[in-house]
Amino acid sequence: MGKVAIIGVGHSKFGKRSDASLRELAFEAYRAALGDAEIESKTIDASLVCSATHYDKQRSPAGVINEYLGLNPKPTFNVEAACASSAVGLRTASALISSKLHDIVAVVGVQKMTELPNEEIQELMGRAGDVMWESPFGTTMPAYYAMYATAHMSRYGTTEEDMARVSVKNRAYGAKNPDAMFQKPILLEDVLNSRMVSYPLKLFDCCANADGAACLIVANGEKARKLSDSPVWVAGLGLASSPMSLAGRNGPLTSFEVSKKAARTAYAMARIRPEDVDVAEVHDSFSITEILNYEDLGFAKPGRGAKLLKDHETELGGKTPVNVDGGLIAKGHPVGATGASQIATLVHQIRGEAGKSQVDGAKVGLAQNIGGIGMYGCVTVLKA
Amino acid sequence: MGFEKFGKEGYVSQTKITPMLSYLKKNQLPATVCQKCKRTWFPPRADCPNCKSNITEWTTIDGTCRLVTFTEVHFAPPQFQSDTPYFLGVAELKGGFRVFAPISGKISRDMLKPGRQMVLRPTTPTADHTYYLLEEL
Ligand SMILES: [Zn+2]
Repeated sequence: MGKVAIIGVGHSKFGKRSDASLRELAFEAYRAALGDAEIESKTIDASLVCSATHYDKQRSPAGVINEYLGLNPKPTFNVEAACASSAVGLRTASALISSKLHDIVAVVGVQKMTELPNEEIQELMGRAGDVMWESPFGTTMPAYYAMYATAHMSRYGTTEEDMARVSVKNRAYGAKNPDAMFQKPILLEDVLNSRMVSYPLKLFDCCANADGAACLIVANGEKARKLSDSPVWVAGLGLASSPMSLAGRNGPLTSFEVSKKAARTAYAMARIRPEDVDVAEVHDSFSITEILNYEDLGFAKPGRGAKLLKDHETELGGKTPVNVDGGLIAKGHPVGATGASQIATLVHQIRGEAGKSQVDGAKVGLAQNIGGIGMYGCVTVLKA
Repeated sequence: MGFEKFGKEGYVSQTKITPMLSYLKKNQLPATVCQKCKRTWFPPRADCPNCKSNITEWTTIDGTCRLVTFTEVHFAPPQFQSDTPYFLGVAELKGGFRVFAPISGKISRDMLKPGRQMVLRPTTPTADHTYYLLEEL
């Protein structure tokens, strides 16, 4: 791949944004990213609008968002990979730039979820899995991840308390992030006493639906050096797939094969090992997911993820700080925006602009984003 | 009848493997066999991804299985909310087939553990619904 860098990032406030429409959320992040890159719209060659479009009332949202950003007649299209949409958007932008089709691309991750009535959201959630073989039995998003939790608990002795520690850690960091949906720290007991959603996952083990947007300005090497004093380089891109049906997957269901495969690809491309990662953003859609991610990314051996957490190794000052912006659990999960939000955090970290959550001397960042119930896995490595 | 009758609340009505339902109604677990490579497919499928051949041959399989994992759903999609809490599980049958199925509510949560021996049984609770579920052996 040719040299590709991120030269600007923007982020809206995540949460219940009843004050803003889909296009206005996208605009907030886009304006911030242009400001960060110190460029104007005329410098942008194309936009990729990344969202899980089944949540949007607007059909084919790239059309209206590109218009609202004032980018016509420049090329635009939607990128959809469920919760990994904008991570895959960065991958797509890198390919467009690498192929010399475009020089500078805006990746706009956006989602508006809280406007939908609860009934509709729950109905959508019921169809998150294979609609032919699994949804007819009353599946939910938490149910799928809960089944990984049950398997991990049984095989490795991971406990509900171990999982609760993820939520406590991430909510503590969320309290330092003004863009996070939840700004209040919580205690272990709060998680353990919250109501059961899908055994063994309770309410505070789960991330929340949210509204929000994040935007990345991606450029080729030459333009990046010309336009930016501190480009952050896209060093590794990994993407893999697993069967969408849970019954189609092999093994004890204690790890996500998509994450392992995508990580191997990204590490090889970036020529790094797991221990070289200074700061990581991982997909904590549920508390158990973060524990599995530690193991799948090679931060811990299989079954040892919970120990890493107990030893405080994934906190600021630990071996590999993870989700020090609060993760999905504190920031909220506006599906299409989450991947770009993770990347934006890493860019701030690598530029040394992460304030109270800064990891000293962070030079190598890793983002891991799982799509849906584990059918897409995306791992991105960024370098200073 | 259409395939929407598979499960508690079906979403897909049109498919090539609708004959599956008549097997379930006869208390049999149906699978398809590729005439070319002889591989058996469960859940049944109409196309062999290995040979790209169209599969038309049906067979039945044994329901003895081991539980791989499970959950107990408390917060459900609207049309399932009145059934909560209910169990969902993944089990591995003989021959390595895996199945995603509801688990009988007659079992208590403490009795469920990955690795536990169970049996997958066809069930037709109403004329409009036929499927399979995991029960105690
Ligand atoms: Zn075949």
